[in-house]
Amino acid sequence: MHPGKPILAGRRAVLVAATAGAAQVAAPFVRTARAAATVKIGMCDPATGTYAENGRNEVMGAQLAVDQINAKGGITGRKVELLVEDSTSADTGTAVQKTHKLIDRDHVDFLLGNVNSAMALALGQIANKAGILHVVTGGHTDAVTGTDCHWNVFRVCNTTRMETNSVASTLANKYGKRWYFLTPDYAFGHTLQIGFETYLKAHGGTEVGAALTPLGATDFSSYLIQAQAARPEVIILLQAGQDAVNVIKQAVQFGLDKRFHLAGAQQELEVLNGLPPEARIGTWVFEWYWKQPNVPHVSDFVAAIRQRNHGKVPTARHWFGYVGAWTCALAANGANSLDAVKMAKFLQGYKLPPEVALMPNEPYYRQGDNQLMPTLYVGHAQSKGSDDPEDLFVVDQEVKGVDVALPVDQTGCKMKWPA
Amino acid sequence: MTQLVLFNVFNGLIIGAFYALMALGLSLILNLSSVINFAHGGFLALGAYLAFALTPYVGFWGALLLSPLLTAVVGVVVERVLIRRVYGRDPLYSLLLTFGLAFMLEDGLRAVWGPGTQPFSVPDWMQTPLSDEYFFLTGYRLFMVALAAVAVLLLFLLLSRTRIGMRIRAGTLDLETVSVLGVNVRALRTLNFGVGIFLAGLAGVLAAGMLGLQPTLGTDLIMPSFVAIIIGGLGSLPGTLLGGLLVGVASGVTAVFFPSATEAVIYVLMALVLLVRPRGLLGEEGRF
Repeated sequence: MHPGKPILAGRRAVLVAATAGAAQVAAPFVRTARAAATVKIGMCDPATGTYAENGRNEVMGAQLAVDQINAKGGITGRKVELLVEDSTSADTGTAVQKTHKLIDRDHVDFLLGNVNSAMALALGQIANKAGILHVVTGGHTDAVTGTDCHWNVFRVCNTTRMETNSVASTLANKYGKRWYFLTPDYAFGHTLQIGFETYLKAHGGTEVGAALTPLGATDFSSYLIQAQAARPEVIILLQAGQDAVNVIKQAVQFGLDKRFHLAGAQQELEVLNGLPPEARIGTWVFEWYWKQPNVPHVSDFVAAIRQRNHGKVPTARHWFGYVGAWTCALAANGANSLDAVKMAKFLQGYKLPPEVALMPNEPYYRQGDNQLMPTLYVGHAQSKGSDDPEDLFVVDQEVKGVDVALPVDQTGCKMKWPA
Repeated sequence: MTQLVLFNVFNGLIIGAFYALMALGLSLILNLSSVINFAHGGFLALGAYLAFALTPYVGFWGALLLSPLLTAVVGVVVERVLIRRVYGRDPLYSLLLTFGLAFMLEDGLRAVWGPGTQPFSVPDWMQTPLSDEYFFLTGYRLFMVALAAVAVLLLFLLLSRTRIGMRIRAGTLDLETVSVLGVNVRALRTLNFGVGIFLAGLAGVLAAGMLGLQPTLGTDLIMPSFVAIIIGGLGSLPGTLLGGLLVGVASGVTAVFFPSATEAVIYVLMALVLLVRPRGLLGEEGRF
């Protein structure tokens, strides 16, 4: 006999029903209460682990934007608040849970994040189900605005294909077409390598070899031994973050920079700052650079971040967060509504104003895949700046994003708008 | 191909010596106090950051000497205040404690030095490869091996030739009897913990010269060391040394054939050892 069981089940069912009922009754009340309150931007980005610095910088940029938005009258006249959650660097489960907290408990109106590509994809899906406008700040894998695109998901940083396309011809013309790839073994690395391989095939180059390195690898010497044995003209290093610091530092200690050209696609100031001066070498792509004397408003932005960042200059990550948060405000104020569909429609083909863009060529959100078409900066690293210790990159060429992005019909993005 | 394999075997030995240095510290603590020190990676990173902070004042060599000592001092304090309380209890307590400590150390470093990577250089002359053909033999790597070898030698001398060393070894075998014979076991454990953490600090300084310096430095390096201990055999320091070298070589050689499996291979190796010889290559039977 199980006397307790049916009663327990019954009680549980009643409880569940009661909670659900209460939630339904309470829901309209919450919404009305919210109408008068602040507008909330939720940001789920890494504060711990490998990407902690990138995440912190994105949050700092977003916070600066929120402060500026408030100073200029807020979003549709209401004050804006930035709610930040630590997504961790590698645990997508935690990122999903934190995003649900932002959406379900804090009732955010917008979502920002994430540095990690896998998390950016996961967040996009959650935001899509919840019908919330989501701006991906710094996850680069193509799928975000490609095969996994959503009407409500916009992206500030570039696709990996844009990064490889922007630098490939410089590498081929200047240093030769025999390339060896050292590729981090996850979506970001794979799509970067595919991008370069597509270029090589189309332009009669040779891939003399490739090695997949585990994410978070510390010792790269055996891969570097392989790479030099293949006698390439260029060793393409596709690692990011700490992996990039490790592989470049070790390649230079082995003297490989004197025998081959070292290069890659995406490079960041965070990485160059973490390298000893002798290892700041190679040809790379920056997604934003703080030293653009001829572009209006950049110096104001640099000064504002320096104030918050112990005197250090903004990196592309600060810019991603800044543009991400501003995009929310511009969309809401432009559509004069917090309705996600109206805001997303407003952003189709929308050109960022110069004080937010902070780069030449009027970046805009492309209609069809919601990908920002910014300017990419192809150039080379330098050991130390002439007038500022953080001037570690020399821009050789500015490339228009739209010239290097795959056309919308080739990205695999099939946008489904709500009825 | 043969040349490539040989290159990688040599290179694996270099890296292996480094893993062995870390693993020996872990092993020392585990053997005497039965504490699996998950915070070892945190102490390693602390050693690296202290070296980074000290270098402008005392130079690389001064930092190399001072930083492991300071790390050991921190270790001793932590042992006295925290670790000591969980001796003799269910291993779960020490696991949880050191696991938490690892996070505290990592976040502590982040709070002081920020989450970014810090540039840490070694003296110029160490940076250059000895020859074009053997380019992976840089001055620094050879120095790393030499220093690891000296540290290991000194450790073994300490354990085999000194009274304290003999007590540590005796304690490893039967702590209760040693205690009954009038040895101050508390002090012995503290000292032993300090020596273990000193090795972590030393490994940290060496790692900082080769890798980027950031708060997660230790976390990334700690797993191969645990694997080295298991392969070598719990309770055996020569086993740990052998395990470290094997881990380095196995992952180096794998890089020639299956580059993406260099990390997986050390766990495969561990699984094989556990299947065929569960006590490890040089471990004593029935110890754990």
